Amino acid sequence: MVREWKRIFSIPNFYVVLLVIPPIIFLFYGFIYQKQFARELPMAVWDEDRSSVSRTLTDMMEQNENIHFTNVVFSNAEIEKLMKEGKIFGAVHFPKNMESDAKKNHQSNITLYTNGAYLVPAKMIYKGAAEIIIKAGLAVVLQKAEKQGMPADKANTLVQPIKLNTTVLYNPEFNYQMYLTPGLVTVGLQMALIVASVLILNLEFKKNTIGSLLRISTSSSQIVIGKMLAHLCITWLLFILISFVVFPVFDLGKPQTDFSFFVLYTLLALACIGIGMMLSAISDNLLFVVDVALFFTSPAFVFSGFTFPRWAMPWYDQVYADIMPYTHFLDGFIKLYFMELPIGYAFPEMIRLCVFIGITFPVAVVVFQKKINQYLKNIQH
Amino acid sequence: MKEIFDILKRELRNISKDSSLFLILLIAPVLYAFMYGSIYLNKGEEKVKLALIDEDGTVVSRLLTEQLNSTPMIEIIPSSNISEAQEKMYQGEVEGYFYIQKDLEKYILSQKQANVNLVLNASRFLPSSDLLSTVTKVCLTVGAGVRKTYFNKQGMNEDESMKMTNPINMDYRPLYNSSMTYGAFLLPGLLAIILQQTLLIGVAAGFTSEREEKKLRDLYEVSGFSISKMIFGKGILYFFVFMIFGLFFAVVNFSVFGVTIRGSFPDLTFITAIFIASVIILGMLIGSFFKSKLFAFQVLVFSSYPIFLVTGYSMPYQSLPRGIQVFSDLLPTSPFLKVYISIVQTGGTVLDNMGSVVHLLILLVALLLFLMLRIKYLVSKA
Repeated sequence: MVREWKRIFSIPNFYVVLLVIPPIIFLFYGFIYQKQFARELPMAVWDEDRSSVSRTLTDMMEQNENIHFTNVVFSNAEIEKLMKEGKIFGAVHFPKNMESDAKKNHQSNITLYTNGAYLVPAKMIYKGAAEIIIKAGLAVVLQKAEKQGMPADKANTLVQPIKLNTTVLYNPEFNYQMYLTPGLVTVGLQMALIVASVLILNLEFKKNTIGSLLRISTSSSQIVIGKMLAHLCITWLLFILISFVVFPVFDLGKPQTDFSFFVLYTLLALACIGIGMMLSAISDNLLFVVDVALFFTSPAFVFSGFTFPRWAMPWYDQVYADIMPYTHFLDGFIKLYFMELPIGYAFPEMIRLCVFIGITFPVAVVVFQKKINQYLKNIQH
Repeated sequence: MKEIFDILKRELRNISKDSSLFLILLIAPVLYAFMYGSIYLNKGEEKVKLALIDEDGTVVSRLLTEQLNSTPMIEIIPSSNISEAQEKMYQGEVEGYFYIQKDLEKYILSQKQANVNLVLNASRFLPSSDLLSTVTKVCLTVGAGVRKTYFNKQGMNEDESMKMTNPINMDYRPLYNSSMTYGAFLLPGLLAIILQQTLLIGVAAGFTSEREEKKLRDLYEVSGFSISKMIFGKGILYFFVFMIFGLFFAVVNFSVFGVTIRGSFPDLTFITAIFIASVIILGMLIGSFFKSKLFAFQVLVFSSYPIFLVTGYSMPYQSLPRGIQVFSDLLPTSPFLKVYISIVQTGGTVLDNMGSVVHLLILLVALLLFLMLRIKYLVSKA
């Protein structure tokens, strides 16, 4: 274990990947979402009514934190042109005679356009503008009902006979930093662990240090356990970095979840090290194993179901997602970190991570023992 | 010309002998494109599970439940009480729960406001925001139905009652992604990023191996001691291969995954060509700073997500911190994606996006100058 620590701190393939890159990218991921929300999104207004109602609605939308009117337009074509140029994400059209139509009991249409090619801004603009337009429509109903002599409380009920009370748990404001940074940090971590650990065993042959290793022990299980413990200690250093530096810097720290996060994190670390060591034992081609690690770890985030749910993926992608430890870690992480549930809720995910550990380490031990035996046989000859 | 052709042949030999380069440059782009693309084959999510507790059990509450269940977005999972629904949410079986209080029908019939409650698990954004907008729409529709019934009872005809129910109607038109699905939004950008990352890593690793195997001087000699021929000869192979991949993605992958190119092919080809040239130059420049190909692979693995996240594709450019905006501006990916999305998704043209085109061209020239200086330095040291 001590020998492996020395290797980790002296070989760039280990210390850069495990100790230099992670802090940089973890802080970078936090910094990207420093503003937390997509706000003040550029939008155009096309006001053919030019009435006090349309001006009031425009002002109300401008007051909304998601919207910022940057352009005044006079046609549909202008809206499309500005969207094609990427200058606006949405537009609103008030039709001619909207105010007078409303007074005359004629229905009028307010058109809201968004650029669906940019989903996040489109949804934010819809959220901000739709709320105001719907409220405006209901305010007209309220005024008319009161004019007809309906008591205020009854008129209010008529406007909204069914009141929807919404409680959004765990991230009520849909804060992007709170949502994405922890996920990106943990996916970066699994990448670092696998990309480094695919070189744990085979690099001994490449660097001709296998002889010195075998002088300590010729038992593959002892070597695998010793090296695994050394790498596990490094992952605990990274845990300290994540939980006590990165998360608190970006106000993401949840001290009450530290213990359960640590347990789940350790299982993810062991599963990643296990996969890496298994590949490292199987192939001596360093570039090939790094290629495999790259291929295996890069898609983990999108397959995990964090941004797009797994149930909406075709079945074969769901199966592929299941063979990645990150998928199961993420399910547990959501329960323990985001939802702050007791550790027992993540037992199913922990058992799945244990399956990875239970398969990969024995395979690594068996395959590496064969290589050791072969090496010793070759030396004797 | 002969020197360029010699370097091209030399590069072909290098790739065919090097399995890792072969894999990343020729196999990975197609494999990744189908693998990642297939995730979004269904474009959007449907049947998001929502637990429902109906304590009213009347015609009106059942109507509300049916309305929710009939939307493609929601699948109702009946629950007998709030704690059971909560437990289902904790176990990850549902994404939230909807609670209909007792006396809903009674309140509505007696013209009193009735309350319904929606509790959402927002630890994942997409299902919770889709549930929120769908449930809100259903409640507004049912509410409008109640209003219309009231006006009908007041003696108004269908037309009058409809106008009174909804005097100002909102006509929502999401352009260029009418169904507002995540897949339709992400797929074009994702395919572009796959093209970029495989090219960047492959070219960088290829250049690093020249340094690692101490062949840079030899390459310089083959080029007739011309750095520009050296860059051109090495880059031309990647350029053509990745232009073919670009065409393949635009024709085959887009058609398989149902992405329509609204703009013109010549515009798309023009901007893709400048982008690929920029990424090749950037790849060589990055590769020139590594001494080991293995190490280059290990480090560049980490570049995919940061590059994608700062381009303004997932989070609007305006919402990125100033420092990140500067970093984003230094990457060819950012101006390229702006033009590419405009052409593919909105039917825009190169002329609509001249600012970004010029931005990309400036980056290409600047990167080329840096690369030439860097190679000059390395060759002098070799």
